[in-house]
Amino acid sequence: MKNFIEKLLKIDRRLIFLTLTLLLFIPIVRPLGLPNKNIGTEVKGLYDRIESLPPGSFILLSIDYDPGTRPELHPQAIAVLRHAFRKDLRVGMLTLIAGATGLVEELAERIPKDIAPDKVYGKDYVILPYQPNPAAVMTQVGMDLYKIYDTDRNGLPIKDMEVMKGIRNVKDMGLGICITGTALLDSWVALTGDRYKFPFAGGCTAVSQMGYAPYLQTGQLKGLMGGMKGAADYEGLIGHKEKGTSGIDALNLAHLMVIGLIVMANIMMLWLKYL
Amino acid sequence: MSETMMIFGGWVAAGLTIFLFSFLYKDNPFFKIAEHLFLGAGMGWVFQTVLFKTWIPKVWMPLTQAPYDFSVLIPALLGLSLVTQFFPKISWVSRYGFTFIMGYGSGLVIPLTISTDFLNQIGGTLTPFMVTSFAGNWLQLLNGSIIAVGFICVLFYFFFSVEHKGAVKKASTVGIYFLMLYFGAAFGNTVMGRFSLLYGRFDDLYKYSGGKYFYATHVILAVLVIYFIVDHFRTKKPAIEEEAA
Repeated sequence: MKNFIEKLLKIDRRLIFLTLTLLLFIPIVRPLGLPNKNIGTEVKGLYDRIESLPPGSFILLSIDYDPGTRPELHPQAIAVLRHAFRKDLRVGMLTLIAGATGLVEELAERIPKDIAPDKVYGKDYVILPYQPNPAAVMTQVGMDLYKIYDTDRNGLPIKDMEVMKGIRNVKDMGLGICITGTALLDSWVALTGDRYKFPFAGGCTAVSQMGYAPYLQTGQLKGLMGGMKGAADYEGLIGHKEKGTSGIDALNLAHLMVIGLIVMANIMMLWLKYL
Repeated sequence: MSETMMIFGGWVAAGLTIFLFSFLYKDNPFFKIAEHLFLGAGMGWVFQTVLFKTWIPKVWMPLTQAPYDFSVLIPALLGLSLVTQFFPKISWVSRYGFTFIMGYGSGLVIPLTISTDFLNQIGGTLTPFMVTSFAGNWLQLLNGSIIAVGFICVLFYFFFSVEHKGAVKKASTVGIYFLMLYFGAAFGNTVMGRFSLLYGRFDDLYKYSGGKYFYATHVILAVLVIYFIVDHFRTKKPAIEEEAA
């Protein structure tokens, strides 16, 4: 038995990689539909905030993630957009990350295709161009956003667009949301949310989710989606299951495997030490 | 996007993903190609985005098209001054740009950080205790107490001006437990995040394995497996040589 355990402890790690690959692939090929019953309160907070906004309110959505964090954050952005359009809210999208411009284009293509086919560009939503220097943008949108965003991403003047009617700065907006894999959410909270008393919420990667707990406790963030789980929770709340929900199957299986390996390895180590 | 470009994009995406994952088996030239392409493509994308979405509309066009706005020269020159860092003889010019960045950044961030991350957080720790009666609020008070105790004990752990013994040691030990709880939760979330990213890549590989993309994933994977088999036999030392070694 001892020899067997020692051999098992020296197992080629590539076998573990292969097992993990298979486990993650199974739900992609054949979704298992495992339930996601534990909806996070911070995700519910964001959902409730959007639900409470009257139709026609303006949401500022900052898409600040690049392809590296796309699997976690893109489903969040799609779910929030879907919810906002369903509630007849106006949406202004922008990005402060150069690597996100392609992903913003992808969202722009999807809105008329399947997210909200009945919504009209310029009337219900607008996409602002990429701007470097996030701090300058965050302070300027608090005062007069036309001084930094005079045109949309196609070079068309935004001031006359119907979607921008009555909007000059964040005081005229209902909510700001930053979905990011960077530390830009911290900056949005400090430079725009706190400074101009602008209700702000966010979406972040699972890795950085814990760091935002203090902002949630103080109410500086009105809600937060963390990682793929956050996206799945939000998809569940709006009743439109997509990539976030299907990812939960894979995550559940992978987590079970990790827990199993940790427990097994510890038992084996105890066996070798004491028996 | 045209159909051809979409298929080409699918092949590139599937290829680079498989090339990067191939490192898990062992180092190989395909991995090296993908690694270098990643850095080059990333920088290239940022460069063209800044050039076409910022430099041309915000600097070039105001200088060359009516209504002219020459005030953009000030920030543009300050920004360009940073490039002089590459030329030792005139690198002193970059100080003007850096001075502006430092002054502007500090002035903007320091007061707001004190307010957002310091004063508001202290307020947030005390808020749960701002109740007029115990009844109905005991859960909030309990939660607030746990956070306050953890907060103070963690601060003690990072307080180095007194020797950690007696009550201070006990407080800092409790602080360590709170920190460990945080690190445990953060690590759990990190594992979940990494699996999500892996799932995302696999999901894309599955997408590119369809007939629409001419089975890009299958073909590239097969080519790589053949490479590893050939490479295995090509680099395998003869038995006699192995024995001598």
